Amino acid sequence: MQIMANFAVPKILEGPTELSVDGANIIASFKLFGITINFTETVVLEWIVIAVILGVCAFLTRGMKVQGVSKRQVIAEMAVETVTNLVRDTMGKRWLFFTPYVATIFCFSIFGSLISLLGLRAVTSDFSVLLTWAAITFILITATKIRFGGIGGYLKGFADPIPVMLPINILSEVATPTAMALRHFGNIAGGSIIMGLVYYGLASLCRMIGLQIPILTVGIPAVLSLYFDLFSDFMQAFIFIMLMMVFISNAGPSEEETA
Amino acid sequence: MGFLSIDLGTILFTLLNTLILFLGLKHFLFQPVQDILAKRQEAVDQTLKDAAAAKERAEQAESEYTEKLAAAKEESTAMVRNATRRAQQRSEEIVAAAKAEAAGIMKQNAEELEREKRKAESELRAEVSGLAVLVAEKVVGREINPDDHARLIDEFIDSVGDAE
Repeated sequence: MQIMANFAVPKILEGPTELSVDGANIIASFKLFGITINFTETVVLEWIVIAVILGVCAFLTRGMKVQGVSKRQVIAEMAVETVTNLVRDTMGKRWLFFTPYVATIFCFSIFGSLISLLGLRAVTSDFSVLLTWAAITFILITATKIRFGGIGGYLKGFADPIPVMLPINILSEVATPTAMALRHFGNIAGGSIIMGLVYYGLASLCRMIGLQIPILTVGIPAVLSLYFDLFSDFMQAFIFIMLMMVFISNAGPSEEETA
Repeated sequence: MGFLSIDLGTILFTLLNTLILFLGLKHFLFQPVQDILAKRQEAVDQTLKDAAAAKERAEQAESEYTEKLAAAKEESTAMVRNATRRAQQRSEEIVAAAKAEAAGIMKQNAEELEREKRKAESELRAEVSGLAVLVAEKVVGREINPDDHARLIDEFIDSVGDAE
């Protein structure tokens, strides 16, 4: 190793020489009413993701016409209709107002995960992000239960079917969003750790057999990345919104009962 | 920051960012697309409504024409029937007139014939009675009072005429 270091190999071509599993970096930190608020890397990445998504949307919906539809418009209409149909099929007609929110979480999740393909940290590998979305889901579930059952009905639901079940019911109420957040976070963060390990391992292997430039890291990780980045990102986003829709719509009475 | 740390700042900013993306998606994607879809639906509805109105108009026109056609047919039938009836009437009149005329002519002829016959008869009678008187004079050899005998002879001729 010492001998080889004499050759001038640019630092950027050396490949990973160490592996660390960290959370997002804190860019700035300020105090508000005595509470420390961190402004982290994740938030900046979220802004990038939002800018990309809204940019794509603005591009797709620019100059839309009723007739003589352009390809961009077809894509935009198809996207809206696909999400709308998904919400209608999963939640029922009266939840259609929910469609933009489902689309928001889906886009945010999938683009937030795919940003890792650019070598940036995935937004969804920050547990706070998933926790936020899970909290919103929890609030929506609770709000739906109260809306259709009243506060009394909601509280009575905890002692159902027998009062002894109270702790278990509370636990299951909390477990729903926690499980959603952990599932998504675990898949994306785990995938990124595995990919990091693969890169690090291949680079170390190259160094061990005397290759200065880790050629093995070209190509081989891409195959794994297909699953851990592309497939897993899409699946987790889809699973998250599906669970969200099912839990929220199940919190209210079924369509037939109200119709 | 730790890998699994829960950060209040990130949570607050994420909440805000989610809201921003939600409003952004609504404004940049859902609103325009739904507007366009609504407009298209409107256009389709309008077209369908126009088509329905046109169809209704066509049906109305068709029924009108059918009615008119039926009326015309009826009228023509009536006209033909009228004409036929009138023609028949007329022919009957003509035939009746012809018959009447023929009957008149026949009657006239018969009367004339009768008259001729009577005339001939009376002439014949006069001649026969004259002849008879002449024959009787010749047979009897004396003059017979023609008046006396004329009556007798007439009786005789009448009886002969009856026998005929």
